[in-house]
Amino acid sequence: MIKRRKKSFSDFGNLSDNKRRIRFDFVLFFLVIAISSFGVLIVYSATRETLPGGVTDPQNYLKKQLIGLAIGMILFIAVQFINYRKIRKFWWLAFIVGVLILVAVLIFGYEVYGSKSWIDLKFFTAQPSEFSKIFMVVSLAAVMSKWKGEKVYGVTFKKVVISFVVTFLFISLVLLEPDYGTALIYFIVYIGLLFLSGANFLYLLAIVGLTMGGFFLALKAGLIKQYQLDRILVVLNPEATSEGAGYNLFQSKLAIGSGGILGKGLFLGKQTNLDYVPEHHTDFIFSVVGEEMGFIGALVVILVLGVIIWRCFHIALNSSDSFARLLGAGVGLIILSQVIINIGMTIGIMPVIGIPLPFLSSGGSSLISLLLGIGLVENIYLWREVRKDHEVAFQEFK
Amino acid sequence: MSSNIRIRFRIIIYLLAVVLMVLILRLFFMQVMSGELYAELASESIVREKTIAAPRGNIYDRNGKLLVESVPVSAVAVEPNIVSKNEEVIDTLSSCLDMSVEDIKEKINQSNLSYIDRVILKIDIDTADLIYLKENSSTLPGVEVIDVYLRKYNYNFLASHLLGYTGEIDEERLKSKEYGDDYEGGDQIGLSGLEETYESMLRGKKGKKIYEVDPLERPVSVLEETDPICGNNLYLTIDIDLQRVVEEILYQSILAARLKKDRDTDQYYKVPGGAVVVLDPANGQILAMASYPTFKPELFIGGISYADWDYLNDPQNYYPLNNRAVNAFPPGSVIKIVTGYAGLNEGVISEGTKLNCAGVWLGLGEDYPKSCWSVHGSLDVRGAFKNSCDIFFYQVGYGLFKKYDNIQELLQQYLRTFSFGEKTGVDLPYEDQGLVSDKEWKEDYFKSRPEYSVWFPGDTVNMAIGQGDLLATPLQMAQAFLIVANRGVKFTPHLVKEIRDSYGDLFVENSTVEYQDLKLNEHFLEIIEDGLVQVVGTGGTAAGAFTGFPLNEIPVAGKTGTAEFYGRQDYAWFASYAPVGNPEYVIVAMLEEAGSGGSNVAPIAEEIYRYLFNIE
Repeated sequence: MIKRRKKSFSDFGNLSDNKRRIRFDFVLFFLVIAISSFGVLIVYSATRETLPGGVTDPQNYLKKQLIGLAIGMILFIAVQFINYRKIRKFWWLAFIVGVLILVAVLIFGYEVYGSKSWIDLKFFTAQPSEFSKIFMVVSLAAVMSKWKGEKVYGVTFKKVVISFVVTFLFISLVLLEPDYGTALIYFIVYIGLLFLSGANFLYLLAIVGLTMGGFFLALKAGLIKQYQLDRILVVLNPEATSEGAGYNLFQSKLAIGSGGILGKGLFLGKQTNLDYVPEHHTDFIFSVVGEEMGFIGALVVILVLGVIIWRCFHIALNSSDSFARLLGAGVGLIILSQVIINIGMTIGIMPVIGIPLPFLSSGGSSLISLLLGIGLVENIYLWREVRKDHEVAFQEFK
Repeated sequence: MSSNIRIRFRIIIYLLAVVLMVLILRLFFMQVMSGELYAELASESIVREKTIAAPRGNIYDRNGKLLVESVPVSAVAVEPNIVSKNEEVIDTLSSCLDMSVEDIKEKINQSNLSYIDRVILKIDIDTADLIYLKENSSTLPGVEVIDVYLRKYNYNFLASHLLGYTGEIDEERLKSKEYGDDYEGGDQIGLSGLEETYESMLRGKKGKKIYEVDPLERPVSVLEETDPICGNNLYLTIDIDLQRVVEEILYQSILAARLKKDRDTDQYYKVPGGAVVVLDPANGQILAMASYPTFKPELFIGGISYADWDYLNDPQNYYPLNNRAVNAFPPGSVIKIVTGYAGLNEGVISEGTKLNCAGVWLGLGEDYPKSCWSVHGSLDVRGAFKNSCDIFFYQVGYGLFKKYDNIQELLQQYLRTFSFGEKTGVDLPYEDQGLVSDKEWKEDYFKSRPEYSVWFPGDTVNMAIGQGDLLATPLQMAQAFLIVANRGVKFTPHLVKEIRDSYGDLFVENSTVEYQDLKLNEHFLEIIEDGLVQVVGTGGTAAGAFTGFPLNEIPVAGKTGTAEFYGRQDYAWFASYAPVGNPEYVIVAMLEEAGSGGSNVAPIAEEIYRYLFNIE
C-alpha cells in the first residue's frame, strides 16, 4: 500500500518537480539556528554577571555555548552525508555506544548536585545521558520499525519486549547516576514512540502499569530521595513558600512575572542577574527569557519551539519508512517532553524536575545532541523516496 | 502506513498545541495580567533602604574651644520582630558580643515590638566581632552593623548641666509628633541641656542609601545615595576656663560650708548643693553657670548603666542631674531690691525716709510680732540694704499692702516686673518658673481649706523680705540684678552665641539679643545701688567676704540673703554685679541649707571677681 500525500507547507510545492527539487527543510533548519543563537545570547546574559560555578571569565559560558553550537552544527552537516538507512543497519553500534557512555559515567564520572552524570574529558566536560537520548531513539526506532522479512508492519509482542529491555537498560543506567529528570524524559520518549508506532493500547497500559509498580516499590524501598519527592510535591501546593523546596519556583515566577509584557531587556534581568533564581543558566533559563524578553519574547520562544517540534513530527509522518518515522518522532518527543516539562516547571504548573530547556539551556552536551537529533530529522527528509507525479496519480487512480 | 498511525501523530500534535496554549495562557496571566504585582514583589525582594547617621554638631565655648564632639563607632542593631523569634541568632549574638541571652532578650523586649524597628544591642564593638558579623550576615537575619555617632566630652564633667547628655531615642518620643517620622529606633538624641534644646540644630540630616542585595543579603549595587549632612555647631556664651574656675570655687565653698555649724542647733550645715550664675549684663550672655553636685555626661554614652542611673537618682546623692541654677529656692533678703524699689516708686518711702528698727515690729498687731535678725535703730533705705534690716522692709511691704487696700497687689506687680515668677526664657529645658504668690494663688492653693485661703497683710510683709510663698531661681535673681545694673534694660539670659553649619558659615546669630526697656526710675535704682555697694563695704552684711578686695578700683554692688525654709536649714544667697558704674559681670551664688549668705556665699562671688579682674 502506498500512502497518499497531502500537499503541505514543507513541500514548497516542488516535491513533484525532479529538476527543481529542494530536499532540505529550511524552516526547521533556520528556526533551530535562530533559537540556538538566541540561546547563546540568553546564556551569556544569565552568566556574565553571576559567574556560576565560580568561573572568573564573564564570557566563559558564552564561549562554551558557542563551541557547543559549532560542534553541533558540524555534526548536523556531517550526518547529512550518511543515508539514514545505513544508520539503521548499524543501529546496534548506536545502542552499544549509548550504553557504554552511560556505564563510563558511572565509573569515571563526577557528581553535581548528587547526580553522577558528568564526565571530565580533559578539555571539556560532557553529560553522556544527553547523547544517549539520541542513541536510545535510534535503537528504539530500529527495534520497533519493520523488520526484514516482515510482510506487514506491526508492533508485535516480540518488538515490545525487546524495546522495553532496551529502554529499561538505558533508564536503569541513568537512574543509577541518579538523574530522575532525564530518566523521566527517556520514559516519556519510549511511551510516546510506542504510541506513535501504532502499538496496541494493551501494551501501553501494561508498560505504564509495570513502571508505576516499579516506582511504588522503589519508593517503598527508599531508593527515591526525600528532596526529589519534595520537589515533585511542591507543584501540588501552588502558593509554595519562598523558602525550602518552593524557593526555586517562587523566585522563578517572580522573575518571569516581573518581566511584564516587553521584559526588562537583554542583560537587564535583575532577579536572574543578581542570582535570585537558582540554576538560571541551566534548568531555569526560561526565567531569564521571561524576565528580560517579557511576554512577547516568551511567546515567540514557545511558538518557535512548537514549530520545531511540529516539523519533526511532520517530517517523520511524511517519511519513507517506519524507521525514519520512529526516528523523527523520537527526536520530536525528546524536544516536546523537555519543552513542556521545563517551561511548565519555571511557571509553576509542572514539578521542579532538573532537565534542560532544549536549545536554550547552557550546556554543550544538550545542544550538541539536540543538533545531532535535528540533523537526523533533516537526514530523513533529505534521503526520503520521492515519488513521481505520475506514480502518485497512478496510485490514486488505482 | 495505517491511518491509525496518522491519527496518533495528529493526537500528539493537537496535544502539543493545547499544552503550549496552556503555557502561553499561564504566561499571559503572570506577565501581562499580574506583571506589575510581580514586579513590585520582585523589587521588594531586591531593594533595600538604609539610613546613614549624620554626625551630630559640635559644641564650642565662646573662644572656640571644642567642648563636645561626635565620634563614629560601629554598633550592632537588630530588628526585634525578626530576631526575637530566632533563638539561633540570639545564641550567636550572645557568644559574639559577650552578652548573656537574657540581656539580649531583655533589650529586645523592652520595646514595643510593633513600634521600634531597630534596637541597638551593643555599641562600640571591636573589629574582630565586626568582621565576624559582617561575614556571617547571611546567617544572621535581622542583625545589622551600623555606624552611630557618639559624644566625646573634652572637659569631663565641666558644664555638664548646660551641655546635657544624649541617648537612644525611646518609644514614647518615637510615637510623638515632635520626633515622629524623622527618627528611627537607635537614634541618638539630646535628652537634656543644650543637647535637648538645640536637638533640631545639632542632629543634622540623615543620609539615605538605596541599594540592591543578592539572595544572601549582600549589597551588590547602589541605586541612590544621599550623603548625610552634618549637624550645626553651637558656639556658646560660656567661657570654659571661667566655668572651670566657677565650678571649682563652688565645690570648694560647699566643702568648706559643710564644716561649719549652725549656731542655733549646733548641727553641721548639710549643704546638699548650690549654684552659681555669671552673666554679662550688657547682653544677657551667660558666661558661666555651675550647679553642684554634678555628673559626668560620659556616663550616658551608649546607654547609662542601671547602677549609674540609680546613683544619679538616689535622694542621698542630692540629684546631681538637677541644674540648680534654674531650680527655684526661697530667695530671702536678696529680694529686698524689689521691695526697696517698689517702696520708692510707690512713694511708700522716699530717699531720706528713716524707719526705726527696735528688733521687734508690732505693725501687724500685738499678736503678730515680727522680729529682725538684729537691732538696727533708725535707718534710711541705703542703710537698710547695708544691714539687711528686715523691719525696715516689713514696713515698706506693709505700706505697699495698705496702698489701695492691696487691691493692686503692688509688691507682686514689682516682683513680676523684675521677672520673678516666670521663666527667663533661657535656652535650657526644665527651667523652673519660681513662685510669686498672690490672692488668686492662695485661694487656689487652699481650695480644700478655705480658712487658710485669705491673703493676710502678713503675707505681703513676709514676701517683702523674701520669705513666705516666694521662690526664685539663681538665674532669675541674676536677671533681676542685671536689670538693676542696666538701669531697667532687660536681656534674656542665653547660652548660645551663634550657630554655624559644618562649613563654618554663620547659621544663627544670637549675639544681638532683643532687649526690653522696663522704663524704671533710674534715680531709685541708683539709690538701691548705693545701698548694695554698702553691703560689701565696711559694716555691710558681706563686708567680711570682701575684706581685702580692692573695692575702690572695682566697686561691687551685692546683696546677701539667708532664707528660712520650714524644716530645713537656711538657704544662703549672694547676688551682685561689678564694677559699679560700668557693670561687666552679674554674679549670683546660692547654697542650699548653708546658713548665712554673707559668710558662706559672698566669698564665692568675691573669688570669682578676683579671677575675672585678675586680682591676686
